[in-house]
Amino acid sequence: MTASLPVIFDCDPGIDDSIALLGAFVAPELDIRAILTVCGNQPLERTLRNALQICELAGRDGIPVHPGAPRPLCREPIHGLFHGETGLGAARLPEPQKRPEPTGAVEALIDHLGRAVREGGPRITLCCLGPLTNLALALRIAPDIAGGIERVVMMGGAFHAPGNRSLTSEFNMLADPHAAAVVFAAGLPMTVLGLDATHQVILRPEHVARFVGASGRISAAMAGLMASWDRNDPKRYGTRGGPLHDPLVTAFLLRPDLFETRPARIFVETESPLCLGQTVADWYGQSGAPANADIVLKVDAEGVIDLYLGLLTQYEMRGAA
Amino acid sequence: MSPTRIIIDCDPGVDDAAAILMALGSPELDVLGVTTVAGNVTLSATLTNACRIVGLARRPDVPVMAGARAPLLRDQIFGKYAEIGAFPAHLVGMGRVEPAAENAVRFIARMAWAAARTQSPLTICAIGPLTNIALALRLHPEVARGIRRIVCMGGTFQAPGHASRWAEFNMLADPHAAAIVFDSGVPLVLFPLDVTTKALFTERHVAAFRASGSEGGRALANLLTEYDRSDPARYGRLGGPLHDAMTVAWLLRPGLFTGRPARVEVQLTGPANGQTFADFAAPSPRVAVMTGVDEPGYIALVSERIAAAGRAGHRGPGAGTQKGKAE
Repeated sequence: MTASLPVIFDCDPGIDDSIALLGAFVAPELDIRAILTVCGNQPLERTLRNALQICELAGRDGIPVHPGAPRPLCREPIHGLFHGETGLGAARLPEPQKRPEPTGAVEALIDHLGRAVREGGPRITLCCLGPLTNLALALRIAPDIAGGIERVVMMGGAFHAPGNRSLTSEFNMLADPHAAAVVFAAGLPMTVLGLDATHQVILRPEHVARFVGASGRISAAMAGLMASWDRNDPKRYGTRGGPLHDPLVTAFLLRPDLFETRPARIFVETESPLCLGQTVADWYGQSGAPANADIVLKVDAEGVIDLYLGLLTQYEMRGAA
Repeated sequence: MSPTRIIIDCDPGVDDAAAILMALGSPELDVLGVTTVAGNVTLSATLTNACRIVGLARRPDVPVMAGARAPLLRDQIFGKYAEIGAFPAHLVGMGRVEPAAENAVRFIARMAWAAARTQSPLTICAIGPLTNIALALRLHPEVARGIRRIVCMGGTFQAPGHASRWAEFNMLADPHAAAIVFDSGVPLVLFPLDVTTKALFTERHVAAFRASGSEGGRALANLLTEYDRSDPARYGRLGGPLHDAMTVAWLLRPGLFTGRPARVEVQLTGPANGQTFADFAAPSPRVAVMTGVDEPGYIALVSERIAAAGRAGHRGPGAGTQKGKAE
């Protein structure tokens, strides 16, 4: 099967970013043009290093990895709480040999999308797993690149669900609410996987064991990544385990039939100290503004888990690189 | 002494035109590029105007580039003379240089990064909303290290605002960009309305621009006559300010000005959006807030350099011969 879907990942690995990438790396449908990194779950130097290590782990050294924004647009940086000291949980990966590209992520985004616009396609699907700083900067510097974007598929926001990093706000939105505001206002085709969706896919400890068992030659790394997966917060998640946030982006690209969406206009709060980063969906056109996103409201959790188990099995079959 | 390397980031605009002409008429300054931003008028008009001004100064060696089309976050506003759009040909002629292809933000970031690597930081003359500079600073942390200082027209402290009751236009047009620049650690020399309105150009000075014999001087005189900036009710006497030209004058003769070190911040929301406030007792001030000007000395310097623009100091073959594009 030929890779038919050109994609760029913009991420802040991050444990769940890493799993999203490891899934995408073995999906023959995806033509991964570049990986961009951003300050988010970890500071930029860590997310960059982690992206390089994950590429090498999977034997995908050929994908260019670009360093992106080292800080959010306006607010001071915040980082994730559940990713361990390095950002990769307990995984201990070798010092990366692969070098980052000299071109920054924002410039790379402008160049890739600008080329798609000039050459008349194919347009690129952006898979945004972290704060939206890189995309916001690119859109403000070169707004015409919007024409080179097929769709933005992003993890972020919380609509009916409460926030995770604050009472109202999901981490990626809270980490750079101003960037999110720029992206939501840009009029791009978007699919948004917020906490309403990701909290439907809880990997329980037995799922984690199956993920590790399926992962063949990367199973030790997978065990390290997922060592602290269990949030042990059944009151919040309804069971032991933890939510599969970023990997849902990869899953949506491969199996959109596992997801139900509903169009709405998304706004994000950029000023209130209490509600900074809160995403607000206008489901009924009350704002008078047109819908700017398809928000995922329902996920076939078992389908997603089976999809990932199938993807991870590829690492078994390929054997050592 | 080798000339000071500067980038002029602007939104021409009549007083931007004066600043650009002055800089291009000054051998002490090496103008690396003129970058444009939406502000007084739309981006396409600021680009056209900058191309015309650089053409008038016969400096096709200076690249002119388009930058941000809209502010970072807030809704776009334009200046008081927004209806001017591109300068009409009957005032400034049809000559122009062609814009360079590179994006202005990437140009600023590229030049500053290179300057950081060679430890030869450059100066930015910022006379429009600060969107381009804020975006360049956010692209790479190295960009800040490549900027020696930003000489900026913007803000107001005691003087009333002109774009709103409390705010000066460049601040109000993109307060978030201003906050990024003020917070960047790059030393700033700030020319607020308090000082820019202390030097007023009267009809006599405008006549001298016209009589100077330079194409740039004639064009500027035409612009200042067409769009009279005199406001005796506001300034207490006849004559109008050329706000942006002060930044270039400071680079040439800082002794004409007095100022006070401060920490400066900008209001981002609410009715006082875009208002600048200064802490003159801050422990590590990074901004020199200009407060006083030697008015006759400043006007003489502006007049001298406007007269020189397009006559002296040009390095390339004459520009201004290319036909202007259809508007």
